[in-house]
Amino acid sequence: MAPKKFYHDDPAWSDVEPIPQDDGGPYPLAAIAYTDEYREAMSYLRAVMAKNEASQRVLALTEHIISMNPAHYTVWLYRAKTLSALSVPLSEEIAWLNPTALRHIKNYQIWHHRQTIINQLGSPKGESDFITSMLAQDSKNYHVWSYRQWLVQRFNIYTDEELAWTESMIDEDIRNNSAWNHRFFLVFGKSKDAIPSQEIIDRELDYAKSAIRKAPQNQSPWNYLRGAVRHVKLPVSTLKQFALEFADTEKPDEVFSSHALDVLADVYAEEKGMEEQARRALELLAERYDPIRKQYWNYRMGLLGEGRVV
Amino acid sequence: MAAPASSSASSSKLERLSATSRTKDLTDSDSEDMVLVAAHQEAENAKYIKSVTSPLQDLLSTQTWQVQEETLEAVLPYLEGNPNDFDLNTFGIPKLQRIQHVRFLNNALQKYPAAFMAIDASRPWFLYWSLQGLTALGQDISDYDERVVYTFAASQHPSGGFGGGHGQLPHLAATYAALLSLVIVGTPEAYASVNRSTMYSFLGRMKQADGGFTMALNGEEDIRGAFCALVALSLLNLPLELPPDAPVREQGLTSFLDGLTDWISRCQTFEGGISASPGQEAHGAYAFCGLGCLSILGSPKDTINKHLDVPSLLHWLSSRQCAPEGGFNGRTNKLVDGCYSHWVGGCWPLVEAAVGKGIANRAALGRYILSAAQFKKGGLIDKPGKRPDAYHSCYNLAGLSAMQHEHKYDETKSGEVGKEGLGGPYHWQQDGLYGGEKVWDDDDMLNRVHPVFIVPWGKAEACRGYFEEQGSL
Repeated sequence: MAPKKFYHDDPAWSDVEPIPQDDGGPYPLAAIAYTDEYREAMSYLRAVMAKNEASQRVLALTEHIISMNPAHYTVWLYRAKTLSALSVPLSEEIAWLNPTALRHIKNYQIWHHRQTIINQLGSPKGESDFITSMLAQDSKNYHVWSYRQWLVQRFNIYTDEELAWTESMIDEDIRNNSAWNHRFFLVFGKSKDAIPSQEIIDRELDYAKSAIRKAPQNQSPWNYLRGAVRHVKLPVSTLKQFALEFADTEKPDEVFSSHALDVLADVYAEEKGMEEQARRALELLAERYDPIRKQYWNYRMGLLGEGRVV
Repeated sequence: MAAPASSSASSSKLERLSATSRTKDLTDSDSEDMVLVAAHQEAENAKYIKSVTSPLQDLLSTQTWQVQEETLEAVLPYLEGNPNDFDLNTFGIPKLQRIQHVRFLNNALQKYPAAFMAIDASRPWFLYWSLQGLTALGQDISDYDERVVYTFAASQHPSGGFGGGHGQLPHLAATYAALLSLVIVGTPEAYASVNRSTMYSFLGRMKQADGGFTMALNGEEDIRGAFCALVALSLLNLPLELPPDAPVREQGLTSFLDGLTDWISRCQTFEGGISASPGQEAHGAYAFCGLGCLSILGSPKDTINKHLDVPSLLHWLSSRQCAPEGGFNGRTNKLVDGCYSHWVGGCWPLVEAAVGKGIANRAALGRYILSAAQFKKGGLIDKPGKRPDAYHSCYNLAGLSAMQHEHKYDETKSGEVGKEGLGGPYHWQQDGLYGGEKVWDDDDMLNRVHPVFIVPWGKAEACRGYFEEQGSL
């Protein structure tokens, strides 16, 4: 553990009058019994913020506070402001940030700070590898995936390499929905209305289908499949033959995927004269294959009569 | 993760019972009766679990599959038996442990040791979660009124908005938690402690050119920002026109609402749920923020149907209910967690107001909360094996309350408050208690919670009424 650091006896800080903490009246709620070290460092931070100071010693102070409490957005934001005022080489900041981020992976501030720095640096170099090492610890971390998406967008990394990496994440855990979401983002998300070529659409549908064949109850590729079909404005009946591989309303004892029944219910609801088949699929879901969502399947059955489709 | 298996739990119960019978009150036949009742109840519960379990299970092992199996192993003993030895209600489900939860939440407002320094920037949340949880449990919190006002006085920033504490930069999450806490207190002193004009200017600095809001100056932009900003604008009855010094005026924006509904629509993902910002993964907590935004912008029936694809939203939302656990997860292929009792459970009243039908399995969620999310010594939890905290306590209770009560939206907007501006959320009406299948008794009832603001019923309207009387800035 690092030795304790104080400022009141440090000549480099003798010109600063610390601003002591006010917890809120004589009987504050949920107050914290800070350590003396933290309490004093925060008092000096309040003082330098009040004078809007940007200096090397401020950087050192923020680093000290972050080492004690990384979940402190004020310190991060003030550090970013100071860095930008001082024109410090930003690559040094990233080098310092890496081990800090690995220690505190579930932290909003670190990722936002990183985004600010990389944005100013203007290069994503090394970031992919860093993210991969973070995901090795926590493969569904929301902040990490969000940061990756920002990176792709900021530096236009809609590349085959990025797609191959995403595929490797799905290969590792075919149920990792964050990885599926990233794939959708890469392939379909570049702009809201852009529809990819037929070749790419076919590739994507085939990719999701082969994942479903490995584990037919995995909802991630089913959502991907339906999302892709909806995005490129194909009818849901595009998926009919595929869904029939896993379920058939005529063979209620041979159902291998509730999600296939769900697709079939939508397909039949749109198909003329097939309302009874749609109802049958929804009944099988409500009564047998997905009973916890009974109310939802019943709601969908109610829509059938109204001639509406889901 | 190690939870006691139901068999060992019942045998320890047997030992405890026979020890008691040796003292005085219970005869041998009484204790045998109780053991038989417990065994019967376990059989009933096992039957229920089977009835909501899909026979379809993939066996392909991946990390997701493994942690899901571990979770089931931790949860099932609590759904089937009664490892905490709680008293049971007439449905054979643990009763709401009201006294213990009240004690836990009162404690959550007291002083924290140095080990809790990491919550330095989230103190406002601890006040909000505790106060909201206590009021849901039916507690009078007026003893705290003055202390709440003083505590937040120290964290209100001179440039507007609230920070996590004294000298911390203003932040929309802290602002949201502070405002809701002051709304729960609901005294004129609490309302008057908010500096509306600096708040207005702070909110103006958060508005972004693409329609969304950042959480802090140069901070991250996500749908929490939009929701927290709308909550503040609405409760404080602030003008919708951007302040003259709002930076985005340079990009031609003039209103807080410019580009906002488009931005929210872009947060709906291919799965049907709502993400933190466009392109990210659909997530329960962000879904509540998105639906909350739309429910502040107008009647849910109008706004949700207009700005979201409702069929895919319903599909995604109903998929959040885990089977057989009954509780909700936050994303596809993630684990059940008691906090989503609110983040996802709280979406349902808003969505059901938009489609006019009840769709959630309320009994299954109630069963998860009462059986698996109550900590033995008080407070509520993520899942068995976890420790209680104010966050999970507040949001499990909010979710249970939402399941127990019915509200409806008054499309005629006949009330006196909320005629103009962001007045949409002040037209909810009580519509009795949930009449469908349930697993709670009268003793397990919580107080009614406002479906958009998650404060006690009536408090949001009182606050808005106060600021309508104050007039414009």
